[in-house]
Amino acid sequence: MIDFWDFMRRTETGQIIKEEEYDRKVGAAAAEVVEKYGISYTPDDPVPSDDGLADRVFEGAVELFERLGVFVIDTRKVVRFTRDEIMEVLSAAPQHVVYGSGNERVLVPARGVEDSRDPVVFFSAVGTPFPEEDFVKVCMSYAQEPLADTFSGPLITSYRGMPVTSGSPVEVEAGIWNVVKLREAAQFAGRPDIPIHNFMSVAERTDATIAAARPEFGVRDNDGLFTAAIAEMKVDFERLKRIAFLLHTPYVIGGLYGPLMGGYSGGPAATALILVAHFFLGLFAFRAQRHNAFPININQVCNTTREMLWLVSVTGQALAKNTHLVSASNAFMASGPCTEMITYELTAHSLASTVSGWHLNPSAVARNRYPSHATGMEARIHAEVGHVAARAGITRKDASKIVHALLEKYEKQIPNAPKGKSFRECYDIETVRPGDEYLRLWESTKKTLQGMGLDFRLLYDRS
Amino acid sequence: MEVFDRIYEGIVNRDREVIVALSKEIIEKQIDPVQAIEQGFKRGMEKIGDMFADLEIFIPDMITAADIMNEGLAILRPVLKEKSGEMLTGKILLGTIQGDVHEIGKNIVKVLLEGSGFEVIDLGRDVDVLTFIDKYQELRPDIIGVSALMTTTMVNIPRVIENLKSLGIRDEVKVMVGGAPVLPEWAEEIGADGYGDSAREAVKVAKKLIAEKRGSR
Repeated sequence: MIDFWDFMRRTETGQIIKEEEYDRKVGAAAAEVVEKYGISYTPDDPVPSDDGLADRVFEGAVELFERLGVFVIDTRKVVRFTRDEIMEVLSAAPQHVVYGSGNERVLVPARGVEDSRDPVVFFSAVGTPFPEEDFVKVCMSYAQEPLADTFSGPLITSYRGMPVTSGSPVEVEAGIWNVVKLREAAQFAGRPDIPIHNFMSVAERTDATIAAARPEFGVRDNDGLFTAAIAEMKVDFERLKRIAFLLHTPYVIGGLYGPLMGGYSGGPAATALILVAHFFLGLFAFRAQRHNAFPININQVCNTTREMLWLVSVTGQALAKNTHLVSASNAFMASGPCTEMITYELTAHSLASTVSGWHLNPSAVARNRYPSHATGMEARIHAEVGHVAARAGITRKDASKIVHALLEKYEKQIPNAPKGKSFRECYDIETVRPGDEYLRLWESTKKTLQGMGLDFRLLYDRS
Repeated sequence: MEVFDRIYEGIVNRDREVIVALSKEIIEKQIDPVQAIEQGFKRGMEKIGDMFADLEIFIPDMITAADIMNEGLAILRPVLKEKSGEMLTGKILLGTIQGDVHEIGKNIVKVLLEGSGFEVIDLGRDVDVLTFIDKYQELRPDIIGVSALMTTTMVNIPRVIENLKSLGIRDEVKVMVGGAPVLPEWAEEIGADGYGDSAREAVKVAKKLIAEKRGSR
């Protein structure tokens, strides 16, 4: 079986090619495979129930990965794999991962399509910039949530008055601060042992990440770290250095894949293939034990548009039906906290993901660009919908109807989505409790969703 | 249909044969090549930018359109030599900031800028702050364009502007910034001259900055 060092050996073999040439090949090959496997986007059915389609997406992704391989930026070479090698790495991949220990131990199994087991929910502020003084409290707003199985934090761009510039000594210091403060937030949220699924969000460089990854700073065995592929289908030594380090540690290795719909791969069908192919990249290049997908609409910078929800659904189904990989769906919202729109976006994304076999990782908010615009409430909403959908046994067909109805409510607003309110406007900063306005808003949307078939009483009663 | 409109259609439809034939026709019939570029090629690429903004087409289609345009321009080049000065919209140095390896957005901007007649010097990804400064001093472009995809790397962008100031050359060059996490108010705060919310917007801003620069001479 191909191990990490076999992969590294292959990064130095074969002909060098121009990166631009590889980029062009991605779109051309994806278009051919889409046509060969007859994969087409169905706007009227955003959560398709077509098992054949899911299988074709998987098979198409295998063929595409065989044809494209992985581009290594530093050597300008393409690492290639045979179909047998792909099947072997899939078969040897972990069927579950474990985060944390003791009472906070979380077993994350591979989920199936229309699985009635609760999705594991990884609560996160996904890279939203926050001022240093609010960092711990906003982290607490995630870690304190009862449905949070694990959590991770936002980031700071300024540390003690200095910008956290990547590659600088400040980045190393801020990276260590990041880790210390995450564990402090867990402690003051009353959950000192809650696992941290991604303990580094402030530092970009590997040296700063490695410097912070020490138990004395608060990182524990079975916490985790993500490593992101570079869109599309690329890796570089900076990221691979993290893996060389992580392979010697007790930390859960997460692969992070964010292909851009409308980018080099093309439209929704082609991007679906590329997303699944990224999972194979993650297995070979990152030795990923669990996987996170955040496909994004290149212009709207979210994944709650109609074609993105379709893409999320078919890729989840393709992976759940044909592999036992542990996979989570990252939510990227166009709108911001404490808006009616975000309650609809979060619901649509959570439903499409849950019934399609994903675990959940909520949520980037307000296109992930407005400082302090993220709170634990968005993750709560996403998690509650996911739990209810699984427990109620919502089918893909039911989900498609609900998602379609929700899209009718918000999709026209996406280009001008409201940025919503900041953490301090949404929460009582002293008590770290969501304010009445946000709670009332969610209660009101829940009543609407109840009428669509989502029974929120199931959160408290499974009988 | 006027030949310029046919060129426009050829670019929009990404029809290589039509563009090659029309470019040859321009030469044979001694039609003004500058007008062909302005009213045919550039207008076509502008429409391509609009279509991409609405996701009617995707990056591979945009690259194909740019390739076809370049084939046409290669045919026109011999008759363009004398007029090449007036053809150039401006010269821009483009790169993704230090620490950031994501350059798809910057590459889209590059294609559309070239389609609008800019000479683009592409420094690539993860470009050291001081490389922007060195390359500016070496190549003297009209504009420096800096992008970031990550909030963690965006904080390096102001250092480009600060270093230009420290050398006393800030007023010589326009600086424009962009990328997913960059907000217009932040661009203003750091003293950038321009900000583009999208690739299409970036081209408009670049043209505006060139007009300002030339107007101030």
